[in-house]
Amino acid sequence: MKQEDTTPEQPPPARLPLWANPRIGLVVLLIALIALFTTLRPAFLNTQLTLVPMQADISVYAVVGLSQLAVLSLGHMNMAVGRMAAMSAFASGLLHDRLDAPLILALAGGLAMGALLGALAGLIIAHTGVNSFVVTLALDFALIGLVSLLYATFTDGVAFNGLPAGMSALRTDTFADYCAGDVCGPEIPLLAPIALIAVLVVGLLFRWSRTGREVLMAGSNAKAAQLSGIPVRLRTIQAHALSGLLAGLAGFLLSANNGSFSAGVGDGFLLPSFLAPVLGGTLLVGGAVSVLGTVLGTAITQVIYKGLNLLQFQVDELKLYIGLVLLAALSLDRVRHVLAERRGVPA
Amino acid sequence: MTSTVETTTTRPAGPPAAPPSRLRRTVRTSEFTLVTLAVIGFVALTLTTDGNMLSAGTLAAFFRFLAVPMIIGLAQMVVLAIGQMNLSVGVLTGFCAMVAAWAMLEAGLPAPLAVAGAMLLGAAVGLGNGLLVVFTRINAFIVTLATMTIIDGLRYGVNGPGTYQDYSAGLAELGQASVLGLPVVFLIACAVAAMVWFFFARTVPGRHLLASGGSPFAARLSGVSNDRSIVLAHALSGLLAGVAAVLTLAQSGSVNATIGDDLLLPSFAAPIIGGVALAGGVVSVLGTCLAAFIVRLVDVAQAQFAINRRWVDLIVGAVVLGVVLSGAIRAKLSRRSS
Repeated sequence: MKQEDTTPEQPPPARLPLWANPRIGLVVLLIALIALFTTLRPAFLNTQLTLVPMQADISVYAVVGLSQLAVLSLGHMNMAVGRMAAMSAFASGLLHDRLDAPLILALAGGLAMGALLGALAGLIIAHTGVNSFVVTLALDFALIGLVSLLYATFTDGVAFNGLPAGMSALRTDTFADYCAGDVCGPEIPLLAPIALIAVLVVGLLFRWSRTGREVLMAGSNAKAAQLSGIPVRLRTIQAHALSGLLAGLAGFLLSANNGSFSAGVGDGFLLPSFLAPVLGGTLLVGGAVSVLGTVLGTAITQVIYKGLNLLQFQVDELKLYIGLVLLAALSLDRVRHVLAERRGVPA
Repeated sequence: MTSTVETTTTRPAGPPAAPPSRLRRTVRTSEFTLVTLAVIGFVALTLTTDGNMLSAGTLAAFFRFLAVPMIIGLAQMVVLAIGQMNLSVGVLTGFCAMVAAWAMLEAGLPAPLAVAGAMLLGAAVGLGNGLLVVFTRINAFIVTLATMTIIDGLRYGVNGPGTYQDYSAGLAELGQASVLGLPVVFLIACAVAAMVWFFFARTVPGRHLLASGGSPFAARLSGVSNDRSIVLAHALSGLLAGVAAVLTLAQSGSVNATIGDDLLLPSFAAPIIGGVALAGGVVSVLGTCLAAFIVRLVDVAQAQFAINRRWVDLIVGAVVLGVVLSGAIRAKLSRRSS
């Protein structure tokens, strides 16, 4: 879990045994869940009905998870992910509605709005030293009100009518619809590569870039980082801006998925944003992140949702089982941790 | 404010200082600021509504709907005292209310038993939260996030989307009753707040709890069991959520599975505006109640002037941010001057 922390000069004292790697466990769990749901309902592997929508959902919520992960790296939280997503969806919608902006410009405007809001939160946190939970919670409160007021002012109701050209293709098309001669693409929704780019960029950022490594160091020990010449305040602002940017991207992806820029975008983001990174092994205390784990965590959650849905479970039962799975996964992780410690293996 | 409040909390008053500095200290406390704010807000609202605020009906409604936010703020405050959070307070309130209504309507239990059952259920769920935190050593934020999801499912499972009403004539009567113009539910909330204050100010477990929150290491060295404090805080938080459920049952007359959805954010707003530190070790019962009062004023202003409901969220958010910022600035200034 903390392997991202070990420096290259220092060889790890003992090789992690396979069972102690949390991500292997997640992959096994994912495969087991898919196998279970497929045996119970063969329709689970139906491409049009299940697999394509599920991939779109995983794309959206993986980005939501990354948005939270960006600040968890510091040991901070972003309680306003959903509302940042809503605000940036509003910005995209407004740009298209009033200025007739094309898809790319609308997306860029949305991302800029998200990054600005994130940077604002980061600025307040870095300069006052107030707990990030309080600041982002208050921001969330304020934005809940602002989003509905803005939609009420600029639209007829709670959504913009039009969509930029090409956005509905993001919703309905898969690569199978685009053929070069006889060769068609796989049945993967167009949203997936966008999310994949986000995953790769965030992964590379935290693994290889100076900024990303310095954010992790600031998260692991802010004082030591400060004394080593890392601009902790700047890194804090950058991490929060990244979180806002990713929240904005998630808002855009969900709007594309829903087919409209509406005030309700981001309403259900808070819980999944924590579920995915935490299931994936990212710590709340900061200093260590697992981007791959976040993607796996998202995949597991969405597989459970879809599977239980197909088995015609009610909404309330869905929630019950998601909560139980989270508790069980975390407790197992704890057991694994204790066992690994006993064997003298750092885990 | 979060740091200056340290001297103003429920700890027993120290030896009386010289009169001028004492006055100054009182003026500087966050409670004083809140009282001033509350009074100014109340007077302003009275003047701008041509005294409509003081009419018996408006005033009674004002206090009746203050009861639940007060208790829910206290339920969060108890857990903040040990430096943890309880995300499940809101849904737990709804769940207890639904179960109690079910017990009265479907199981035919008499109201007093159902009321006791709701509070016991809340305490039991809170106890479960605390035990999970202690035994798994997982962050309380995550544990209660998981239990929030679970309880959310259970709450909906009691009666699906259906509504329970007419469960108990006695409870409904209690919800509408007044003593000297003050609604009984509000008086009950005040009594509960007084008990919470007494718990933190005068009882050994309460002081231990604050010690654990302030410095777990020092607490352990002084022979305080941090684990016991954690379990106790979560159980107490659950119990208070149960109390909030009973008050909701009494005042609203009908309950469904959405009860508690809008309580999570206010549960944090009240203690934070009231000057409770998230880091733990500090509580302010009076501050939390006053903050709930101020938020209620914003609510009433919205109703009186028929403002868009959404302005309330915007204003409350801005107030929390403002309080937090001014507290940080004040701390910086006082550090510079000393």
